Amino acid sequence: MKSKSQSLWGDAWRRLKKNRLAMFCLGLVIFFTLLAVYGEIIYRYHEIRDITPSYQLTNLDAAYEAPSSSHWMGTDGLGRDVMARLVQGVRIAYKVGIITSMIAIPIGVILGCLAGFFGGKVDDFIVWLYSTFASMPGLLFILAIAMVVPDRGLLGVYLGIGLTTWVGLCRLVRGEVMKHKEQTYVQAAKALGLGSGRIMFKHILPNISHVIIVTFSLRFPAAVGTEVIMSFLGIGVQGEPSWGLMIDSARMRLWQGMWWEMTFVTIALFLLVLAFNLLGDALRDALDPRLND
Amino acid sequence: MNSNVSRRADEKKLLDVRQLNVIYGKGKDSVHAVKDVSFHIKPGEIFGLVGESGCGKSSLGKAVIRLTDPTSGTIDFNGIDVASLKGRALKTYRQEVQMVFQDPYGSLNPRMKVGSAIVDVLEVHKIGKNTTERRERVAALFEAVGLDPNWAWRYPHEFSGGQRQRICIARALALNPDLLVADEPVSALDVSVQAEILELLEELRAKRNLAFLFVSHDLAVVRNVCDRVAVMYNGEIVEIGDVADVIDHPQHEYTRKLLAAVPSF
Repeated sequence: MKSKSQSLWGDAWRRLKKNRLAMFCLGLVIFFTLLAVYGEIIYRYHEIRDITPSYQLTNLDAAYEAPSSSHWMGTDGLGRDVMARLVQGVRIAYKVGIITSMIAIPIGVILGCLAGFFGGKVDDFIVWLYSTFASMPGLLFILAIAMVVPDRGLLGVYLGIGLTTWVGLCRLVRGEVMKHKEQTYVQAAKALGLGSGRIMFKHILPNISHVIIVTFSLRFPAAVGTEVIMSFLGIGVQGEPSWGLMIDSARMRLWQGMWWEMTFVTIALFLLVLAFNLLGDALRDALDPRLND
Repeated sequence: MNSNVSRRADEKKLLDVRQLNVIYGKGKDSVHAVKDVSFHIKPGEIFGLVGESGCGKSSLGKAVIRLTDPTSGTIDFNGIDVASLKGRALKTYRQEVQMVFQDPYGSLNPRMKVGSAIVDVLEVHKIGKNTTERRERVAALFEAVGLDPNWAWRYPHEFSGGQRQRICIARALALNPDLLVADEPVSALDVSVQAEILELLEELRAKRNLAFLFVSHDLAVVRNVCDRVAVMYNGEIVEIGDVADVIDHPQHEYTRKLLAAVPSF
């Protein structure tokens, strides 16, 4: 018997700390998060003061300047600083990643729990529902939703991505709940007279929370990527600097040797996606309760 | 009808199971796990249920505690037929009959402190006024099963098998039941730990007048702790009676075979 009680989260953190690559990725994720917070503060500041932020000011005399000491990542076709816009782009990327997760994860978790726990007709219906969603080509469906939303721009992106990407998580949660439902501790909870809702959400859910955390860390960069594609196609973000818009505008002059905007945005996107994916992978190992003993 | 008269005629029965059937599935693939089983348990009695794996003894135990729905038959508990209870009435029945499972490792939620799990149960049944009072009850339950009350706020993986089984017993006692269904409660434990748990069960019987439906395949254990025993074979009870009679003078062919398979008898 150990002298001090250790929580399972503490155990997971200890295992994660041993993984150097994961810790590096965690650092990168924290760095991006701070950038996003910084971007939000800058945005709010200018909004309250009602002035145009510097990253939006056009200066045609300084268009297409190569990286230099005054513009570390060069300037774009309207003379705006690429680095400043890149940082503001993190803000949009995070907003998309977090808000779409807040739409998709509750839908996936709740439907998955209901399907796995109750089985029978409830399960049939939910499986039918997600199979229907899964059978539609993802991007087309997202585009369709974004087109229908009256106020174009970010709301369309949030709903489009949020309402289409819950299927994978739902399927995973359903399977996990089915597995846990047969375990003795759930049988015991039933025998003790606990209600279905309490068993599902207070007893089973904490046991499958690692699935949700890992899914979040994997779907977050996917959502960011989808936003980039949507903005690139012109149905996403408007007016705000987003990575998709930047890539879209950079591609025009790429063949003329204006490489910097495209390069830096792509590197930032690559690093964000890589950091989240590797961290998600490491979290999956660290949080798996089967590794506890 | 005349059931009242008949109950007065013989001794008081806590649990009276009649013509109970449990059938899993439908049509061709159905399995008839429990066939026309009838028995009764008196208050404070340890009633053994023995038989080989797959004979339906666990299904019968689960039907009694209503984890499995019986297909037909009656389960009379203190004069109420509980075989078809639902909702609130079933929840009330949960306070009367509780269960201890075979696997002490799987029957505790790994992500929940063991004491919190018991507080949760008390909360659901509205026992105790507030969390402080419920925590005190948990401490008392831990003492009752021979555990340090301070251990209540730890996670299951910090306990040994025997300790976990004690925690499971404490959890089952939280609702102060009259009958405990013990499904192979010691078969996953070391022999020395088995003896301690069996002693605990005996002690609880003596202190709380708790009755047991003791499901086991271990005849030595049954012989030691049970008052009466039923032998199950292929879903049916083939022999039933006082433990000494059944084990020392088996009447049925199958009971003799079962006894012959155990070296010490």
